[in-house]
Amino acid sequence: MFESFFNQYGFLMVYMVLQATLALSLYLPLTAGQLSLASPGFFALGGYIAAVMSTTVWATNGMFPIPYLLLEMLLGGLASGLLAVVVGVPALRLRGIYLALATIAFVEILRVVSLNLTITGGAVGIFGIPQPFNSSLEYMWVALPLLIACVIFTARLEKSRIGRAFVAIREDELAADAMGVNPTYHKVLAFVIGAMIAGMVGAITAHFLNTWNARQGTFDASINILAFVLIGGSRMTLGPVVGGMLLTALPEILRPVGDVRLIVNGFLLTLGAVLLPQGLISPRVFKRKKVDV
Amino acid sequence: MTATDFSNIETSSHTTSSILSVKNATRRFGGLIAVNEVSFEVTPGEIFGLIGPNGAGKTTMFNLLSGLTPPSSGAISFEGRCLIGLPPYKIAELGVARTFQNIRLFGNLSALENVKIAQHTHTKAGVLSGVFGAGRAREEEPRVLAKATELLKLVGLDDLAGEQAKNFSYGDQRRLEIARALALEPKLLLLDEPAAGMNPTEKQGLSDFIRMVRDKFSLTIVLIEHHVPLVMGLCDRIAVLNFGQLIALGNPAVVAGDPAVIEAYLGGD
Repeated sequence: MFESFFNQYGFLMVYMVLQATLALSLYLPLTAGQLSLASPGFFALGGYIAAVMSTTVWATNGMFPIPYLLLEMLLGGLASGLLAVVVGVPALRLRGIYLALATIAFVEILRVVSLNLTITGGAVGIFGIPQPFNSSLEYMWVALPLLIACVIFTARLEKSRIGRAFVAIREDELAADAMGVNPTYHKVLAFVIGAMIAGMVGAITAHFLNTWNARQGTFDASINILAFVLIGGSRMTLGPVVGGMLLTALPEILRPVGDVRLIVNGFLLTLGAVLLPQGLISPRVFKRKKVDV
Repeated sequence: MTATDFSNIETSSHTTSSILSVKNATRRFGGLIAVNEVSFEVTPGEIFGLIGPNGAGKTTMFNLLSGLTPPSSGAISFEGRCLIGLPPYKIAELGVARTFQNIRLFGNLSALENVKIAQHTHTKAGVLSGVFGAGRAREEEPRVLAKATELLKLVGLDDLAGEQAKNFSYGDQRRLEIARALALEPKLLLLDEPAAGMNPTEKQGLSDFIRMVRDKFSLTIVLIEHHVPLVMGLCDRIAVLNFGQLIALGNPAVVAGDPAVIEAYLGGD
């Protein structure tokens, strides 16, 4: 019985883990007060790197070697980080909604570029990406460690000197500046770390989905990931993780509802935003629990 | 109104030993001249008062000193280093800390975190060191915590270390801002209306506190204040601004008797 459950929901479970990790890539710049929607761009870039490398340079007939997958993740992360420096330095001069708009433009530019290049397979994209695992569920072996590593990394970073600087900028950029915190440096740093996470997730996802095309990095994805963070909670590392998992699973959970499920989905999102403006997971929730005990 | 003449006389006598030197600093906002050709020097260890009616340009002067607003013209130097063109965080690194008139604490963070953040320039741990708690962070974190706790104790807020800054009373927020500024381990401390919102007893204690802080950390202090008795009793020298111009500069007794100052405060006929 368990076997059939995992067969049926293995794909969804891995996808939940991947999306939760992706949510962290948007959460990180947000800890420094920067509303960046660039994650899908870096996610797409990481995916294309994995797709191109595994179908050309490292093309194999049998199972795709896992060390190569890890190497692709590393490459995807590094390439995304580099691109994030190039994009971040000018873009992070913008504030609030203007930064959000600029990052949407960035995602769109990458999408159009990938639609028109031959190396990315144009509109068709790249398909038949070799599989390192026998089943969807086995992707958990890389997806889950990556999520756990990213959660620990982010949570520990928040407690460190750099994380404090991020939060200081979010709270009051001017005051942080006057207290010796270089705002530009730390904003770009948060953006770059987020981009690297997105790039790594992209590399795994390309194999996982078996195909990669320009529909992976879109404005829709930006908004989805933003919803993960806002519904889950933007003040604690656990927030985006829970949000990412829940919102990825929600359309599947609602499948029995039938055709109206997307309407119900949207309704639940709105309800969440109205009733829990701080998100599902917020420091306040934890404090209240402590008081009760 | 011969403001410029007056300031020139004063600056010439302090050039050698000054820690902060302001020469003909001017700041225009469109047609408004908020600070107009102001010059003064502050000597090390001094408590220097900056007073003047509302809108005289005192806070703009502080913004020029801390780099938040660049001057339109003029020169500002700290310990002989020109501050013009430096971003605020660099000026903070050099040893200039400030508080804000309209308190700018990190409201959602605890008092302890507020003070810890200001230790930024005295620590170096990078991303990986911080995440793994190794290397520099291992040595720095206990030091940062000890320093922050010590400063909270100094301002009498150690009991509230874990409380969010936004929940503090007005007076406590002012105290916390001073603790945060001191965590920068500055040489020059700029206090923008430290007594605002404090009750008479607290104001009384503030003079002693500011003197104690000056001696304990061997600071130079420049403060903006409206409460005249406090300024008169506390400051070694006072500069008076009115409509962006320096109209008087000297020790409290001299400034208090200056006809231009009396006119600025009480209005002429």
